[in-house]
Amino acid sequence: MKPILPALAVLCVGTIALAAPPERYLHVRVDSPSSGEKVRVNIPLSLAEKVIPAIHQGPLHDGKVSVGNMDANCVDFPALVNAVKDAPDGEYVTVQDHDEDVRVAKMSGKMVVHVTDRGGDKERVEITIPWEVAQALASANGKEIDVLAAIRALENAGDTTLVTVTDNDETVRVWIDAKNTSE
Amino acid sequence: MLLFGKIAMGTLGTVALAGAVISSEGFIHVKVHESQPNGTHLSFVVPAMIVPVTLKFVPHKYFEEPARQIGPWLPVVDAALSGLSDCADGTTLVEVTDPNQHVSVVKSGGAITVDVQDPDETVHVAVPLRAMRSAIHEIASSAGPS
Repeated sequence: MKPILPALAVLCVGTIALAAPPERYLHVRVDSPSSGEKVRVNIPLSLAEKVIPAIHQGPLHDGKVSVGNMDANCVDFPALVNAVKDAPDGEYVTVQDHDEDVRVAKMSGKMVVHVTDRGGDKERVEITIPWEVAQALASANGKEIDVLAAIRALENAGDTTLVTVTDNDETVRVWIDAKNTSE
Repeated sequence: MLLFGKIAMGTLGTVALAGAVISSEGFIHVKVHESQPNGTHLSFVVPAMIVPVTLKFVPHKYFEEPARQIGPWLPVVDAALSGLSDCADGTTLVEVTDPNQHVSVVKSGGAITVDVQDPDETVHVAVPLRAMRSAIHEIASSAGPS
């Protein structure tokens, strides 16, 4: 009887190791307190991964978006992203004018962009992109953005808030986690 | 008596087979409840298979333009329906709430269900994904030579 126990243990561990990873979802939540409207969108990343390569329309082909007018022949984007990835955390770009502030920083392995509008709407945008996702976006040649690779990278990224937009009228939040609801 | 038994078995088998074929693509459920007096109260369940079968009897000329428009998007539709059928039941894909209305689109039991609730009416529609695919392909097949 005893020799069967190690075999069972190996089988259990193997089953756990081979179990499919939980589905991950891209959530969008829009709250508009002034009108009382709430919008919730929950998209399984596997669904996006299937649909995006099937779209061949406009600049989107095979999961990549062409940015044809950008002259990037002399810029090796993957190398550039890798170089920044290895650089220490810090604030890399700061732009301030009388209407808005823009700040681009690297924090805890993520690229962070903050835009604060001091105009009428008082809009505040925060974008956080895990480096793996930024690398995936830049993994195509210099004239394309690899959206499909970014989605695959998002599947492996932890739970994270990607975008928040707040203004006088509404708040928008885009995030990734393994729940199939927005609450 | 033996002959009667054979006939009964044959009939039962045919009915069972017909039932299996008819329900193979699931069922479409539509429920409408209008809250005002004398409002419509409607609830019906029909085999989803009747949609593509019915479309076969519609003259192709009515679908030529929709078919031409759907054609380039057919791989996207197929990919989306395949992705949706793989996604977990109970996933709320879209939910919109405002003070007067609540709309939700949920993947449920191999079907997409749309629920709309407002002060005037409640609507529930459930359409199996397989039936959607069959119907869309049936329409797309109506495209004439380009």
